[in-house]
Amino acid sequence: MGARPRRCVSPVGSRASAHRRAEWTFPARRDKADNGEVTTSPTPPATSAIAVDGIRFSYGDTPAVDNVSFSVARGEILGFLGPNGAGKSTTIKMLTGQLSPEAGSIQMLGMPMPAQREEIQERLGVCFEEKNLYLSMTGRENLAFFAKLFEVKDFDPEPMMERVGLSARLDDRVSEYSKGMRQRLMMARALVNTPDVLLLDEPTDGLDPVSGLAIRDLIRKEADRGAAVLLTTHDMHEADTLSDRVAFINQGSILTIDTPENLKLAHGQRSVRIRTRQGDGVSEQVIPLDEGGSGDRIRDAVSDEDLMTIHTEEATLEDIFVEYAGRGLA
Amino acid sequence: MNGSRIATIIRKDFGEFARNRFFVFITLMVLVAWVAVFWFLPDSVDETVRVGISQSDLDNVLPVVDGAEVAGLALVSYPSETELQTAVEDGDNDIVAGIAFPPQFLATLADGETPTVTLFVPAGLPAQQERMMEGLIGEAAFGVAGVPPPVNPITEAVVLGTDRVGQQVSLQEQMRPMLLIMVLVVETFALSSLVAVEIQERTVVAVLATPVRVVDFLAAKGIFGVGLAFFEVALLGLLIGAFAVNAPAIVAILLLGAILVTGLGLIAGSYGRDFMGTLMVSMLFMIPLMIPAFGALFPGTSPAWIKIVPTYGLVEAVVRVTVDGDSWSEIAPALLMLAAWGVALFAAGAFILRRRVSTL
Repeated sequence: MGARPRRCVSPVGSRASAHRRAEWTFPARRDKADNGEVTTSPTPPATSAIAVDGIRFSYGDTPAVDNVSFSVARGEILGFLGPNGAGKSTTIKMLTGQLSPEAGSIQMLGMPMPAQREEIQERLGVCFEEKNLYLSMTGRENLAFFAKLFEVKDFDPEPMMERVGLSARLDDRVSEYSKGMRQRLMMARALVNTPDVLLLDEPTDGLDPVSGLAIRDLIRKEADRGAAVLLTTHDMHEADTLSDRVAFINQGSILTIDTPENLKLAHGQRSVRIRTRQGDGVSEQVIPLDEGGSGDRIRDAVSDEDLMTIHTEEATLEDIFVEYAGRGLA
Repeated sequence: MNGSRIATIIRKDFGEFARNRFFVFITLMVLVAWVAVFWFLPDSVDETVRVGISQSDLDNVLPVVDGAEVAGLALVSYPSETELQTAVEDGDNDIVAGIAFPPQFLATLADGETPTVTLFVPAGLPAQQERMMEGLIGEAAFGVAGVPPPVNPITEAVVLGTDRVGQQVSLQEQMRPMLLIMVLVVETFALSSLVAVEIQERTVVAVLATPVRVVDFLAAKGIFGVGLAFFEVALLGLLIGAFAVNAPAIVAILLLGAILVTGLGLIAGSYGRDFMGTLMVSMLFMIPLMIPAFGALFPGTSPAWIKIVPTYGLVEAVVRVTVDGDSWSEIAPALLMLAAWGVALFAAGAFILRRRVSTL
């Protein structure tokens, strides 16, 4: 996967003061070197928008999250991948201040959570997995209500609804929205306060491909704006294409955190699959790239007049997750 | 607490309430129906017992007939025994019984014989009233014959408590506490439904992910609940004349009642899983809350334990102010009891809702 060009930006927005935001301006984590080579780092810069250190939480005697540590830099998207019950939602609840960790610490935007919960929440946007919208209210009313709770001055719901493609349904009750529309409204609601940290729990769950693409584009734009994004998802393709780094979580513990590229390079076998026509049949050969002489074999195959298809093969995140967790995401 | 955020949540709750057709319907229906019921009920008590009399040859002897009323007794004259019987059967002129003196009643007495007087009573007349009629016949017979009864003791009545002869509590007044409590409990359900929906739809989780604190959320629900319940019960009170006597005391009583039912609404809303679940939990509270009001409706029927029902203080205070015209000091015990229950239930409701919200 090619690295996307990234911008290092100073966050913009109407709510926080300039000096307050300046302290969170730091280089983007993925950079292009002078020689054009893309380098990635598995760890974000020292100053993180989200810094979680050894947090633990149990429901009764059952540990839901155990010794979880990670960090997310400004402008970075961290994909949080794990099956149901892995501890993703519990982690998000601790980040939103809904639950207090039994051990460990959470720093968000340089402030401890939950000690400075209110100050953090002013700069936090959350898109929940459940569609917890006020169904009897219109889209406009939903956004206006939350904007007032954030005390956003002169909030206009129209541009926000336009960003998620719902401007035509602005004054319809949410109970009349489709599932995809509700999901898009959830996303819009998460952005009413121009947040510095975005916590997105399955934001594209159940969306049609077009809506999913629009939401992914929106998430990318928010990260480009400078927001730190924690994204939980079951969708490996989404995690792969959207995340700067991914964290695998299973049974309450983080198994690994790295860039999708590094994970695939470390755990997958790079190979080329070549199919050629052989009389009435089809011949297929897989050429491992890490073996000697692979270049010659590929050249020979490509020069074959009966060449049908040629594909690169690499491990998927799902394969790697299975390797780590011994189980799939389902 | 942040007043601006609390006000925002209250406005949102009011908007949701106002656009919920079911809530609006039951609120308006209850108001209209209860006011109509109240004003259709009799506003006075007729203490006169009407007895029909048929006395073909006694006109000169019994001048009390023809509607003359003596000490709560009215005798209504009928020309014949047959007509008297029909009148008793049909309940004409609200007569409760009929006494038919036979022809030649005086002559028979004068001859030293025992005449037979017929007493017509409707099927449902209680036995003691029937015996009372028999006594009346005896008295009349002795009066007609001019012979005193064998024993004629002087009876002196001592009235314990307020002597309400001539000013009995009307059914309208007896119903007033019941109507006020019924409006309050209906609002318990409305509030509990709004709270339950916040929990079921988990919108409260989204609200608490903003800078809104749990205490802001609880304050908003509490203020909205008390405001809604108080506004409606005060409006009903106004329409049924509850403020005619000592209006400030009634305002205080209804406000405390609104706080009490809001606490119950928060509890019911915290436990309601869905609409029916919320309705069932609300009903668990509604029925016991109305028992003291039944006690006011049927005086003398209340068991002693009724005093521990949270709404007892409310009913007692309303009755004492509106019926007896009691002053602040006289209703103070009932008011204190109501206040204690109100504060306790409101605190319990807030505590339970807080716990429920934090476990979502």
